[in-house]
Amino acid sequence: MGETLEPDHVAARAPELPGPFAVGRYARKLQEEMRRRARVLLIGEVTGVGRSKVQAYFELRDGEGAVPCAIWLDDLDKAGLPEGALRDGAEVVIAGGPDYYPGGGQASPSFSFRATHIRLAGEGDLLARLEALRKQLKAEGLFELQRQLRRPLLPKTIGVVTAESGAARRDLVAGLQRRGWAGTVVWAFAPVQDRHAAPAITAAIQDLAARPQVEAIVVTRGGGSLADLWAFCDETLCRTVALLRVPVVSAVGHERDSTLIDDVAAVACSTPTHAAEAAVPLDCGIARLGLERSVAVLSRAAEGAVRARTPHLVALARGPARALRRERLALNQKTREIRAASERSLAERLGFQRRVAGVVLERAARRAAGAEMERRRAALHRAEVTLRAHEPERTLERGYALVEDAEGEPVTAAAEAVAAENVRLRFADGGVKARIEESK
Amino acid sequence: MTEKPESYEAAVERLEQIIDRLDSGQAGLRETLELCGEGRDLVAYCTAELDAVGEGLKELKLDELATKLAGAAEAGA
Repeated sequence: MGETLEPDHVAARAPELPGPFAVGRYARKLQEEMRRRARVLLIGEVTGVGRSKVQAYFELRDGEGAVPCAIWLDDLDKAGLPEGALRDGAEVVIAGGPDYYPGGGQASPSFSFRATHIRLAGEGDLLARLEALRKQLKAEGLFELQRQLRRPLLPKTIGVVTAESGAARRDLVAGLQRRGWAGTVVWAFAPVQDRHAAPAITAAIQDLAARPQVEAIVVTRGGGSLADLWAFCDETLCRTVALLRVPVVSAVGHERDSTLIDDVAAVACSTPTHAAEAAVPLDCGIARLGLERSVAVLSRAAEGAVRARTPHLVALARGPARALRRERLALNQKTREIRAASERSLAERLGFQRRVAGVVLERAARRAAGAEMERRRAALHRAEVTLRAHEPERTLERGYALVEDAEGEPVTAAAEAVAAENVRLRFADGGVKARIEESK
Repeated sequence: MTEKPESYEAAVERLEQIIDRLDSGQAGLRETLELCGEGRDLVAYCTAELDAVGEGLKELKLDELATKLAGAAEAGA
């Protein structure tokens, strides 16, 4: 090998203790120690029953642990148990104390609880045990968890744990049908009464809860003695149910039976029929009637709302017509006023024209006063016309322009214009300034 | 169409609110017509949910559910 031990291995020596003693002697002492321990009563479930020529042996267990037990056949006979009562799954109470068999040259040593008396657990024993367990789970708050879960009013799929053959199954289906519910039931069949029941039921519940479609789980079985229903008081089963996120409806036994699963479940029911109602809280038939009523209410409300507001709507609809009429009236009034004003103005103009005509007529009358006068007036007019023809303005009106210097004197020659440099051109309608730039 | 309700109970709860509001007579014309429209959608949803669990009880064993789901997954793949 050639490996060297690490220093700390070297240091790991046994502490300084008494001994070493011969092991056989020690084993005997151990047996004495064990036998000196107080004798007690134990309660639990029997498993792994076996027999030798002189004694029966089995394990006594519950959810927390187990003890190997042995009873001399003489003591077993004295116990007077019914034939076959000491079997796997039986709940028993035993009296005795711990013992140690030191073995021998060939025989193996063993520890066991040496029972001197044995009886089947009675209702009282189970109830006492149930109460202790109930108190413990309640103190841990496990009774509240399921009750806080939301239970769907109308699940589409529910899971059911029950015995494959049993009235509970039939009653549950009948209950669901009475509800008018015809969704999907997923059955997880399990034994409901023996020592395999509790683990099988626990596994079934867990399997159902693992399916996302399953919205609620019903656990049900018919009635029986507390011993028959004992699987539903199993601590592991009840802890599992308490911690599930899917609501569990329990319907185990009859009304007077109270199992621990009832305490941890979301709802505890007395019969499978009630469990159906708890798993599907909605009565589908009644719900359909309710919906029909809702439709009627909605239709009535819609029609009523329109009808109640019809007068208002009509009034609103009349609104524009009324406004139009008002405007039309106002417009007509304006039109009349304008027309009246216009007629007034026409009358005034006519009056004026009449006055002008009067003057003209008067003049005409005067003219008619004497032909001589008229002749002279004609001669004068001709002279005036001739004279007007020679006015520069008349020339300008024909398109000519008059060139004036700064003083307003006519410029009549190009040289004068160059000399003046700045001139004014006078047209018929006004004058403009002009500058002479060059001469030729 | 209003948003799909998250559950049957949510739909029923909203429907009851709507009917209470309509019964109060305080809703105006526009609100009334909107509530009636929403209410009808909710009734349609609830009816469909009831129809979904009204077509005959289906019974499966747990392992059949697993097989059915596996089949559905394969069909979907």
